[in-house]
Amino acid sequence: MSAVVRYTAAALRRRARPLGRLAGWSAAEALPALLAGYLTARAVDDGFLADRPGTGLAWLGVLAVAVGIGAVGTARAYACLGDVVEPFRDELARRVVSGALSRSTAAGARPESTAVARLTHQVEIVRDTFAGLVMVVRGFLFTAGAALLGLVSLTPVVAGVVAVPLVAGLVLFAVALPAMVARQRDYVRADERLGEAAGGALTGHRDVVACGAQEIVADRVGRQVDRQARAERALARMAALRSLSLAVGGWLPLAVLLLAAPWLVRRGLTAGAVLGALVYVATGLQPALHALVQGVAGGGLRFAVTLDRILTATTLPPRESTARAGAPGDGPAPAGTSGCGPPGSTTGAAGCPLAELRGVTFRYGPQARPVLDDFDLTLSEGAHLAVVGPSGAGKSTLTGLLAGLLPPQAGTVLLGGVPAGGADPAALARHRVLIPQEAYVFAGTLLENLRYLRPAAPPDEVDAAVHRLGLAPLVRRLGGLTATVHPPSLSAGERQLVAAVRAHLSSARLAILDEATCHLDPVAEATVEDAFASRPGALVVVAHRISSALRAREVLILDGGCPLRGPHDELLARSATYRELVGHWRGPQDRTHRTDATGGGPVPAEAANR
Amino acid sequence: MAADGNRLLRQAITYGGGWTVALGAAALLGAAAELLLPAALGLAVDAALGDADPWWPLAACGLVVLIVATDTLSSLASGAGTARTTARIRHRLLRHLLALDPRRAARHPVGDLVGRLVGQAADAGQAGSTVVLGLAAALPPLGSVVALLLLDWRLAVTFGAGLLLLAVGLRAFVGDASAAAAGYLGVQGRIAGRLAEALHGARTIAAAGTVRAEIDRVLAPLPLLRTHGDRTWTALARASGRTAAIAPLLQLTIVAVGGWSVADGRLTPGQLFAAVQYAALGAGLGSVVATLNRLVRTRAGAERVAAVLAEPVRSYGPASLPVGPGRLVLAGVTVYADDGRPVLDAIDLRVPPAATVAVVGPSGAGKSTLAAVAGRLRDPDAGEVLLDGVPLRRLSRSALRHAVGYGFERPVLIGDTIAEAVALAAVADTVALDTVSAALPPGSATDPVALDTVSDPVGLETVAATLTPVSANNADARPGPATPGFASVADARPDADAPDSAAGTAAPGLGADGRLDAGRLVGLARAAAIDEFVERLPDGYHSRLDATPMSGGEAQRLGLARALPASRLLILDDATSSLDTATEHRIAVAVAAHPDRRTRLVVTHRMATAAGADLVAWLDGGRLRGVGAHRELWRDPEYRAVFSASIPPQPEPTDKSAAKSTARFMDEPPDKSVDGSADGSADGSAGEPVDEPTGEPAAEPVEALR
Repeated sequence: MSAVVRYTAAALRRRARPLGRLAGWSAAEALPALLAGYLTARAVDDGFLADRPGTGLAWLGVLAVAVGIGAVGTARAYACLGDVVEPFRDELARRVVSGALSRSTAAGARPESTAVARLTHQVEIVRDTFAGLVMVVRGFLFTAGAALLGLVSLTPVVAGVVAVPLVAGLVLFAVALPAMVARQRDYVRADERLGEAAGGALTGHRDVVACGAQEIVADRVGRQVDRQARAERALARMAALRSLSLAVGGWLPLAVLLLAAPWLVRRGLTAGAVLGALVYVATGLQPALHALVQGVAGGGLRFAVTLDRILTATTLPPRESTARAGAPGDGPAPAGTSGCGPPGSTTGAAGCPLAELRGVTFRYGPQARPVLDDFDLTLSEGAHLAVVGPSGAGKSTLTGLLAGLLPPQAGTVLLGGVPAGGADPAALARHRVLIPQEAYVFAGTLLENLRYLRPAAPPDEVDAAVHRLGLAPLVRRLGGLTATVHPPSLSAGERQLVAAVRAHLSSARLAILDEATCHLDPVAEATVEDAFASRPGALVVVAHRISSALRAREVLILDGGCPLRGPHDELLARSATYRELVGHWRGPQDRTHRTDATGGGPVPAEAANR
Repeated sequence: MAADGNRLLRQAITYGGGWTVALGAAALLGAAAELLLPAALGLAVDAALGDADPWWPLAACGLVVLIVATDTLSSLASGAGTARTTARIRHRLLRHLLALDPRRAARHPVGDLVGRLVGQAADAGQAGSTVVLGLAAALPPLGSVVALLLLDWRLAVTFGAGLLLLAVGLRAFVGDASAAAAGYLGVQGRIAGRLAEALHGARTIAAAGTVRAEIDRVLAPLPLLRTHGDRTWTALARASGRTAAIAPLLQLTIVAVGGWSVADGRLTPGQLFAAVQYAALGAGLGSVVATLNRLVRTRAGAERVAAVLAEPVRSYGPASLPVGPGRLVLAGVTVYADDGRPVLDAIDLRVPPAATVAVVGPSGAGKSTLAAVAGRLRDPDAGEVLLDGVPLRRLSRSALRHAVGYGFERPVLIGDTIAEAVALAAVADTVALDTVSAALPPGSATDPVALDTVSDPVGLETVAATLTPVSANNADARPGPATPGFASVADARPDADAPDSAAGTAAPGLGADGRLDAGRLVGLARAAAIDEFVERLPDGYHSRLDATPMSGGEAQRLGLARALPASRLLILDDATSSLDTATEHRIAVAVAAHPDRRTRLVVTHRMATAAGADLVAWLDGGRLRGVGAHRELWRDPEYRAVFSASIPPQPEPTDKSAAKSTARFMDEPPDKSVDGSADGSADGSAGEPVDEPTGEPAAEPVEALR
């Protein structure tokens, strides 16, 4: 929570100038609070009680002017608020967005989908409650200060007597505040836990019924319900504490004043002055304190808890992303000095493989079975490799390794002869292009989307690629390359085509299509793959249909066991997995099949690893 | 529906019980005191000036004390009452939701149900405090108008006029602010949309190395957002300027009018002050609108909760199963989809006892529906499913779940720890069997045996205890002599702080039970070939599920372990699709070793599994296309086409636990000459005895599932 205080204090310091203006207008706003009691006293004493109602009204007229000035002050103060609050919101939004994107693009990370809710929901809560908090606090300071000042002008003794309980109430509230924040946080957490527990149980409704575990699960989730109720009761006790501090700070001054009034009158205080003092206490101090306590205990607590959550969520250490931990022995790549086609060079010297995996081992957890174990793969100029295998066999992992996005636990990834670990992301991007299944199309012009990887791509090349890969109909439909794309209005297949053209335009020599055409029909898929195959360099296609494997020069089968690599025909002869995949089963009567089953062991086709 | 909501609302008010009564008393007393206070203050002022009884200041102070006390009590009672009411509604809704038919529950998105349980139940839970506080809050403003009228009718008229002005000012604000807010939300949505886009394309961005540029692109509309944001503050400024003037001017006018009356001798100075206070109190009339809003929300919440509560729960019969071999019969089973299309159309299927029937067919043929109907995860719309002659819907819940176990392609593991997740069905069993086990002396030697015969999948008497027994005091165990052991395994979470953890659950003989049940857990895991995975985890069976990254295959095996305690019928709905054949074989052997020789219904895409089954039920378009041995069906080219694989469209799993295997690959044993380098572990498992009758085709290990 101290992080919240530090962050807020720093943000306020950065807004010293608008805060100064805010204070100025707040002073103007407090003018009626300053004058109300005094002018009422004069109006009563010199006017209404002195049988000079005109004079009374005149004094009230002065007060009316003060009210008018105060109203202007209020309006201007709110107008200043934007200069304090909006930049604060901007900073938070920037923090959330850059944190989410940095972490989501780190090695092996999954997109942080919660960040969108954090941006639209939590940041807005903080914005609103921050504004409320600023207004309430400065409102109290100026109004209470003004009322006390006015009181001093009427009867200095009373001012002193009234100030003591007021301060005591404030201290009480301040002391209870950390506990209130803690209870509020417990409450929010209990709410979330309940949501998580209920979500888990209801997601598994079928499983619960299948296990006959309705009672047990109802009890388990019920415990979260009870925990939440306890948190809510604790919060209610805090509300009682809040009432107590209001009683001390707001009501006690009034009681003191009432009890002291007869004595004060005997000492010469006029009727008007008594009224004025009451006006200061009852319409100045007490409502100001009430607003402060309610505001801080309501919006203020929400501010603290929500900001704390944003700060915690956005200060998680990013997984070793930027400093991409390469294999042991991978030094920082001295780009352009070693290797024969360093990342960044678009020429790829002859004789040097475009990409090479050497003894690569990759597992997702320290306990997990390796997805790839001591795996070697070399891709040279002109290679066209299709990767097939069941979901979870590690196809996407392989593309991540090949692209230098995932650091292996052991072994080396060489791109153009240079270790991928530690290479500059931009240099990597010039060497290879990865098209994932989820095509990225952003709101912008079509041309911006297509030139994303190579902003300087000449128009005729763009045109050629558009036609070559079959994007022309979409370009026509949208009204040209400079038309703005609204991504949700494109079909999944159209988005994949855009991503394909973009990748085709890139200068990278190694193209990796990770199920990048799964939403295209077979003809469109063939068009795209052929276009990439005739591009200079090497192509890796994670096959979505068997036709992709048929088009490839070589096929790599990943099925959790020992990966097999070879041309289509050879694999047909060697791999049952592949035969089944291609649909070339010769039936259960197959002789070899039976002999092997009785004699040999089954091939490890573990599809269980991611 | 509205009637249901109103009934729930009335119930909710009574749920608060004593707290609602206390709240009502405190709120009414407080409102009365608030209403009397200005008059008392006025008299106190007059008393100070010597024009009234000198005890009035004390009386006013007494009222202040009363207000503070009732206010404190109100806060407490409203919070505690709401907490209690909400908890009761939630418990009720939760039990109801879990008692629903899975099919019915699945009609609501999970988020929607969670929203009702967390959000709307809380809204409805405020019924008591909203009604009581709403009534009480209306009293002082209404009373103050009367009080002003009693003091001087001129004051009341002045006040009424001022209130109208105030309302106009507020109304104007609503218009201004909503226009500005709409623009703001529009830009905010644009930024959020860009962020969502970029997150979706995170892999492209990572590969292109363009994170910085993307951050800038997402945030590009930020200045525009600020412009709109400033506009909202300007609108607020205008409105607050107006109201800041109107409210004090109203009071000022009251002072002026009242002052004139003082001058005329109609009012005392004290009464003037009382009038000012009453005017302030009367301005609180605006809060009545807020109360109405709250009431509307509460009622809407109650309606949403009541709508779910009105859905009928599935009922269970009273019957238990007679002694039997596990004969499964589907007679004329028909199931309609929500749109009225038949998913299963008059299916007649007799599965011989202790046989394995493979259910095959193309996607959408109704295989999973058949599996759901066969174990009463779902009731057929027509026809009957019988297990050993008893219709499933006549069975009691405990009898049904004791007899039938389900393994799923994508099991949802429920519980905090692995032990909890695996023991789910077994714990449910022991709870259900309370009545049976209660007859057994707790901790006696017969107790574990009783458990064993119920659900020991592979005869695990010999399995050594590997889990340390956990003392019962930190386990929120359920009462019942049969449970402590499992509770100690399943519920021993570090944060198990439930207050209802009865000390009485520390039944005698727990240590022995704990070891035995731990052993049984290990046995289940071993049978499902997941024991090694679990034991490699830092906390073993106590590892938290959410902190254990798991592949689809690992989750499948844990889900399988959970299903294994079933005594008569095991239904595996594609439950080993993500496993390699070696593991599948290992499981098959363990499952087949079950002393009860359970009947098995296996939905599969793998040809080898079909080839190894005693019987294949070939489904197509909701109808049984053929029933028979795989060998016979194989002659039909259309049957063969079921297995000729292409890779179906498959979304890449974004969640590690949801790794879904839609592409079915079945590997046959390798041709040693070509593929002899196959992983050594596979060769090791080849040593397992494959119980293969001669002449059987496709001697896949899976056939041992029979």
